[in-house]
Amino acid sequence: MPRAALYIAGRLAGALATIAVGALVVFFVMRAASGDPALAVLGENATPEAVAAFRAKHHLDAPLVAQFLIWLAGMLRGDFGLSLTIAGGIPIAQLMAARLPITAFVGLYAVVIAVLISLIMGTIAALRRGRAVDTVATSVAVLGISMPDFWLSYVLVFALALGWKLFPAYGFTSPVDSLAGALYSGFLPALAIAAPMAAVFARMLRTSLLETASREYVVVARSLGFSKPFIFRQYVFRNALIPYVTVIGLQIRYLLGGVVVIERIFGIQGLGSLAVDAAFARDYPTVQACTVVFLGIVLLVNVVVDLVCVALDPRRTL
Amino acid sequence: MRPDAASALGGRRGARLLRSFLGNATAVIGASITLLVLLAASFGAVLMPYGPNEADFLNILSPPSLAHPFGTDSFGRDVLTRVLYGARVSLVVSAAGVALAACVGTSVGMVSAYKGGYADLVLMRFADLLFAFPAFVLALFLMVVLGFGTVNVSVAIALTYFPIFARLSRNMTLLLREEPYVQAARLMAQPTPRILVREILPNIAAPLIVQATIGVAFGIIIEAGLSFLGVGVQPPTPSLGVIMADGREYFQRGPWVLTLTGLAISIALLGLNLFGDGLRDLMDPRLRQRAGQ
Repeated sequence: MPRAALYIAGRLAGALATIAVGALVVFFVMRAASGDPALAVLGENATPEAVAAFRAKHHLDAPLVAQFLIWLAGMLRGDFGLSLTIAGGIPIAQLMAARLPITAFVGLYAVVIAVLISLIMGTIAALRRGRAVDTVATSVAVLGISMPDFWLSYVLVFALALGWKLFPAYGFTSPVDSLAGALYSGFLPALAIAAPMAAVFARMLRTSLLETASREYVVVARSLGFSKPFIFRQYVFRNALIPYVTVIGLQIRYLLGGVVVIERIFGIQGLGSLAVDAAFARDYPTVQACTVVFLGIVLLVNVVVDLVCVALDPRRTL
Repeated sequence: MRPDAASALGGRRGARLLRSFLGNATAVIGASITLLVLLAASFGAVLMPYGPNEADFLNILSPPSLAHPFGTDSFGRDVLTRVLYGARVSLVVSAAGVALAACVGTSVGMVSAYKGGYADLVLMRFADLLFAFPAFVLALFLMVVLGFGTVNVSVAIALTYFPIFARLSRNMTLLLREEPYVQAARLMAQPTPRILVREILPNIAAPLIVQATIGVAFGIIIEAGLSFLGVGVQPPTPSLGVIMADGREYFQRGPWVLTLTGLAISIALLGLNLFGDGLRDLMDPRLRQRAGQ
């Protein structure tokens, strides 16, 4: 399939170009605002020799554009520079490598939970439109959107961890060490991240199912005498999934935002808590790198989502 | 059109809008909750017998009671008073951010669509780029760049929400640009700003207002999240996020502080979300569908 490969390559190239422009904006905004990193780290009273050595080590003596290109070229090789304050002198890539699988696991876990809940809720609400079940599901969905996820995580901890002692209230077993442990200790954080998303997904699926069910091809299928379950499976559900999957892609931005706060609450050593720690310590290169990596994750996920949509849509082929 | 005819038409249109609004349960419930929240945030703190920072060391961490419906915190401060006061701070911070995003985003989107060309391309690419960042990560980045503090939270909310207004107003302006009444105004050689403000803006205002309603809810979550982490509004100013961050410190001994504050946020967001949903239902569905593409 050379055309498919070409399409994917084109989308990936577009994503990479956007990441590069995003990195450019992040770099210059950060540099304009934070002033001289050497003075920020060493303090105003640093000796000129120390400042000069620091600047040479972090390529700060080169022109700004050159500094940006060095940084960008480094990132393409997987080198994000050195951390300034939170883990002085350790490569940021090394800090991230340990944390990326954890964040990916928690995020994916949350998406799976949100998809499961929303598929059930959205489908039942659409099939029983206007009945009590629909009203309940729709109301629960609005409630879900209105609860800040970090608050929900404390309510869950209060009820399920401190009250019933079903789950741990704090701490997380890395999936690298034990998958079962990660699934168990990650359940509450994943559920807290998933709940608002599940609400958004369920609402989208319900609307999309109802809209698809009134399409002409569904009316035609009905007039041809196909059975109801067959029509639902083959005509309604499949086509209704396209906007549903698109919304999942759009929600990745909010999911990653949720991850940042929730990792902090549950003491999960992921990319989110790295970003927050770095923000507190004013570790500019690490904040910069985290921001770009989060942007990259969103863009890559969107490429994948787009491919899934193409695969689902019978009108589009690669 | 003569002014008197215009106002008569406006009056009838207003009455019809009001009637369909009252017929929409979601919008009415949402508007009622929102109104209550606004009233509570505006006047509630004054009516309370306590001050937001008034410590009472004989009443530390006392659970909810008649005297203290939300209990007291680790300084013996009345949590309800602080929540009412904090709701005002959070609402103002969020509304200011969304208002800024709406003004700048709508202007950029409208001019961009109306003028077209390279400026349109560059501005929209920039909006797309901002939109691709995870909202909260972008806000966190901006707080590091701008410095922690109340005003900067508003700026961060504005920058994260700006692309949504820019895109929406651009898409709708593109649809309206070729409408006969806009063409007519252009043929009459009316200046562009006048056409944008007098002809286009009134016709795209409704979806923008809906977006602003939902945006304020979004802004409250961003403010609460940033302040909860400690990089947003700084204590002793009691925003809702600050109170929750405070409650987190002694969550096991006084769970009511964090739990009830969060409940208050949820109620405010529920009102805004229902109100936004209801308003959206009331809008011309065709315009909404076309603008969404």
